[in-house]
Amino acid sequence: MNSVIETKKLCRFFGSDETRVNALQDVSLTIEEGEFTAIIGPSGSGKTTLLHLIGGLDNPDSGIIELSGVNIADMSGAELSDFRRDHIGFIFQSYNLIPVLSAAENIEYIMLLQGVPAGERAKQVREMLHMVGLDDLGDRRPAQLSGGQQQRVAVARAMASKPDIILADEPTANLDSKTGISLLEVMRGLNQTQNMTFIFSTHDEKIMDRATRLIHLHDGKIERNERKQA
Amino acid sequence: MLILKIAFRNILRQKRRSLLTGLSMAGGYILCSLSFSLIEGSYGNIIDMFTLDHTGHIQIHRDNYLRRPKIYKTINNREALETILANSEHVSSFSPRVFAPALAYAGNKTSPVRVLGVDVEQEPKTSRLAQKVQKGDYFDANPDNDGYFKAMIGQGVADILHLDIGDEIVLISQGADGSIANDIFIISAIVGNRTSYDRLGVYLPLGAAQMFLSLGSDVHEYAIIVENKDDNKTVAEILQDEMPELDVSPWQKIEETFYRTMQADKQANGFALGIIIFIVFVGVLNTVLMSVLERTREFGVLRAIGSRPLEIIKMIFLETMLLASISISIGIVLSIPLITWFTYVGLLLPEPIDMSGIEFQYMTGEFSWYVFTTPMWLIFAFSAVVSIPPGFRAAHILPRDALGSH
Repeated sequence: MNSVIETKKLCRFFGSDETRVNALQDVSLTIEEGEFTAIIGPSGSGKTTLLHLIGGLDNPDSGIIELSGVNIADMSGAELSDFRRDHIGFIFQSYNLIPVLSAAENIEYIMLLQGVPAGERAKQVREMLHMVGLDDLGDRRPAQLSGGQQQRVAVARAMASKPDIILADEPTANLDSKTGISLLEVMRGLNQTQNMTFIFSTHDEKIMDRATRLIHLHDGKIERNERKQA
Repeated sequence: MLILKIAFRNILRQKRRSLLTGLSMAGGYILCSLSFSLIEGSYGNIIDMFTLDHTGHIQIHRDNYLRRPKIYKTINNREALETILANSEHVSSFSPRVFAPALAYAGNKTSPVRVLGVDVEQEPKTSRLAQKVQKGDYFDANPDNDGYFKAMIGQGVADILHLDIGDEIVLISQGADGSIANDIFIISAIVGNRTSYDRLGVYLPLGAAQMFLSLGSDVHEYAIIVENKDDNKTVAEILQDEMPELDVSPWQKIEETFYRTMQADKQANGFALGIIIFIVFVGVLNTVLMSVLERTREFGVLRAIGSRPLEIIKMIFLETMLLASISISIGIVLSIPLITWFTYVGLLLPEPIDMSGIEFQYMTGEFSWYVFTTPMWLIFAFSAVVSIPPGFRAAHILPRDALGSH
């Protein structure tokens, strides 16, 4: 398998002097293509910080982050924007859909940024909505959808740009158990059928159960890194 | 299209706030267009008043005649000049004139007067002289049966010399050849009123005036009306090139004091309007900044999923410009009837206003492309400027901070 993510001695601090917090310390890891990885650990262990660094939403204080062989730690703001647009899909805990756009338009927006022609966009939006089981709800605004439905739209949006990896920050935290399982099934299905690489930060045991790899973080350090049979 | 949709829906997000902001912009537009209309209309009327009354849009003289008029500073090659004027597509009409100071007698009374020799046929096409006849008839170029030419006098001359229609007036002046000029004329009309610029004028048919002043066929001035009054400076330059030996002056040079006063007044009005628009747009800036602040998380998400900073700036710019477009549309709809009323009816002033010796009683507006488009561009420009700081702020929101990563 090819490695899609490789971090070397990744460090991130917040604050200074006596208020300094070592959010991540010397984190080195490799994620292979098609892995369904969960980063787990207690609150404040550095899960979200690691996801944000991998996703290019934040810059490390030291260390290297290579995504598909490209070191993103040295990229400028605009380069990072383009990189995120084309290579990374995000799923957030609180969905973070654009409230003034319908479900379909939320999915379409990222393709618009990529310069996909209108006809192709419309076709792909239909496919994405079908993939996440929301065929008839494309015209609804986020406020007219349930939490689970909104998160499915977020999954479709993350998939729409055909990224190399999808980073999901506690995607089931705001969902009830049944909806969470349903969403996980959707994501696992995409992982298996399309060989899409997923990385979650989570406390959710349902995700841990389905993950092919668990990375345990504690106080900004990798405590345990285990692969398991799906 | 999707970007436009986002902008439009974002405007509708906070309806009340957008409505208030839009109304303030529409109000600014109406205020601006109405002010421009009144300024242009009032000055347009004044300019029409004196250009059509006596100056014309352009005048032609010889040898700096405007500053130092002398009876012998005449235009003598009239045929060539009139051919140029007649063949010019920009010239609507022209009229030759002669001038001289004179002493007028009637009975035992005397008065200094200004003799104005005008072409009886051409002058009514160039000025409102025929319409200014208050009493009597507009004169003709021929002498009466006794050999006397007719004259039209200003109201001031009529009052001082107690003259009426059919009376005789004796004029004494100096001829261009140094001789004493004197002759009797018969009053055919009284023109203007006591405040007219020509209240002390005595109009003579051009041929009679030339004979009286020993000018031969020479004249002192050509007054010209152009097809488009706004082009008069350009037309003057074209004519000047064609007749370099003469002075071709647009009305802005002839009435230089008035023109400068008008320009200064327009600048002062423009400055006052600029301050008002600035105040309106401080409010708009505040609204856009508030909107950006409220959507910090959203902009963070947009940045996270790959929107470039420039795209965020464009989004804010588009929203502001869209709001400005809607406001301007409302402003145009509301200002059209208002400006139409001011243009075709106008506001009756309690007291006539005197500007540089010219009086006007109605404050009227102007209905023109300029009046509607200038405020439009002004508001678009201000909108573009005020969208930049919030746009930059939104564009530089860090996704990490906006999404609350720590």
